[in-house]
Amino acid sequence: MAVPRTEAAPGAAGVALAARTRGLRKVYRGTVAVDGVDLEVPEGAVVGMLGPNGSGKTTTIRMLLGLVQPTEGEIELLGVPVPQAADRVLPHVGALVEGPGFHPFLSGRENLLRFAAAEPLLRAGELDGAVSAALERVGLAGAARKKYRAYSLGMKQRLGLASALLAPRRLVVLDEPTNGLDPAGTQEVRRIIAELHARGVTVLVSSHLLAEVEATCTHVVVLNAGVVVAQGALADLLESGSPTLLVTTPDADAAVETLRGRRIPARPAPGGVRVDVTATEPAAVIDALVRGGVRVEEARRERTGLEEAFARLTHDVGELVGELDADEPEVAR
Amino acid sequence: MTGWATTDTAPASSRDGADGGLPERRRASLGRLLRAEVRWIFRRPRTLVVLALLAALPVIIGVAVDLTVDGGATPAGGPGGPGGSGDGPPIFVTMAASAFVLPLGSLMTLLMLLLPLTVAMASGDALAGEQSHGTLRGWLLTPVSRGRLLLVKAVGVLVVALVATGLVVVSGMVTGFVLTGTEGLVTMSGTELTVAEVLGRLGVAAAWATLYLMAVGAVALAVSASTEHPMVVVVGVLGGLIVSVVLTQISALDWLHPYLLPSSLPGLVDLIRDPVSFDGLLEGALRSVCYLVIGMSLAYARLTTRDG
Repeated sequence: MAVPRTEAAPGAAGVALAARTRGLRKVYRGTVAVDGVDLEVPEGAVVGMLGPNGSGKTTTIRMLLGLVQPTEGEIELLGVPVPQAADRVLPHVGALVEGPGFHPFLSGRENLLRFAAAEPLLRAGELDGAVSAALERVGLAGAARKKYRAYSLGMKQRLGLASALLAPRRLVVLDEPTNGLDPAGTQEVRRIIAELHARGVTVLVSSHLLAEVEATCTHVVVLNAGVVVAQGALADLLESGSPTLLVTTPDADAAVETLRGRRIPARPAPGGVRVDVTATEPAAVIDALVRGGVRVEEARRERTGLEEAFARLTHDVGELVGELDADEPEVAR
Repeated sequence: MTGWATTDTAPASSRDGADGGLPERRRASLGRLLRAEVRWIFRRPRTLVVLALLAALPVIIGVAVDLTVDGGATPAGGPGGPGGSGDGPPIFVTMAASAFVLPLGSLMTLLMLLLPLTVAMASGDALAGEQSHGTLRGWLLTPVSRGRLLLVKAVGVLVVALVATGLVVVSGMVTGFVLTGTEGLVTMSGTELTVAEVLGRLGVAAAWATLYLMAVGAVALAVSASTEHPMVVVVGVLGGLIVSVVLTQISALDWLHPYLLPSSLPGLVDLIRDPVSFDGLLEGALRSVCYLVIGMSLAYARLTTRDG
């Protein structure tokens, strides 16, 4: 089905935004779950939403989709205000929020048919085909007639994904889509996201699997304790970390001493030293080392991993990194 | 592209296709939603079990009454006619198994608890049950507006109430015809009724009972919209009904009785009299409508403000 594709609301940089929030805030009985979130999801991007459990990812997503009324702030989805005009925009948005929800006594196919019946973009005659296509897409065609009750965790997750892909979407929001999936299933979710991306569909995916986000996303939003601590293109975020230079040398101790003597932060690393080059040019470091009589075998810039960037971002603000695997608190419900 | 500047301020009337490139508002037809809902209701195992039970009970009551007659002190009498004299079975026993009184009697008996239970269960599954499975979210995201969702759910409960009442009445009637044929179609006032009159009165009874059950269902939907445990709905509604029945027995509280839903039930007995007095039935219907309106309003208020 052809959906006219004019631009959505332009962002600060003039980029069309598939989703945007301004000063979003949600308070549950005195607990601030989300505070002052200014989210920008560029059209056509794959945006990874990162954050420890309880950082407000799910609450933000639920507000984006009009499921929860924000305490304060504005939301725009594909250029229209939510929740005021949610019924206009939601047909174009596919979502998997807080795990899949289906009835155990119905088969996967029957469950999907139930939701398909409510999809405004599907005509009555298209329901069967749309359900079959969605099941096919997530690799569940073979188990379509099995009762949902008999599905494995991974199959349940796939069915949830299938319901998000029932109709042609412009924005797909996936909350922890790889939960409970085996490596093959995770791979498949990546493939589906890549497919959507290739077709120009905007994808917002929350996860606490950093490798997952690093592999699939073009943009990243990092939330911590209900606040956005960083957002932007993935490459920018990775470079924003304090840049380091890894120098391979057999004289590591001498190197550290020399550099510290020149007020250049450095610390021993396997096979050499790691030098902080935030305030110094790499060339100056090499020069200092050579003048100090240190034998330099190799020097290269180190690319910060997302994991490191994430740890830095969430650690600086809330020291919550250690709680990455803690259970999601009730607040997010 | 031209929509850029006007996106934020575009008045609702000029929105169609202008901003965000979204086509005009569309939604799935109500018929499609209702069909999906009804299919779901009747695929649910426990709905089917309760409905089967409701269909079976009039048969059991009828056969039990008939056996009492046969096993009585008149081995030669058999299921005698309505005019059964001295050694025939007493007229009220024959009447009780007739195609007129059996369905009405079954309906009155089952309206005390089992029929309200059926409706409360359906209402509990409709919102609270869907919420607990996370499927209510699915409906809201497709999206189905909350008002439409409540309408679909209420119609679903209505269908259950109608089917449940219909099953009791039809099952009782068929059992009556099989057991006593067209004999015993007699009112409590002693007049005989034609089959058409019987059908008419049973139709009124079924319609009245459905309305009564919808009053229960509306309150149940209001509870259902406020919890995610279907059990809370069933227990709450049945508990409320039982308390109401107890209160109707306390004469010191007679000022309260007009406000209690079970006060309507005795009105159904008037259908066995001749001529029928509709006063009690009308008062009961009015009471049901009041409960219906209040229950649905509460359900709507709760559902539209609830987090999905």
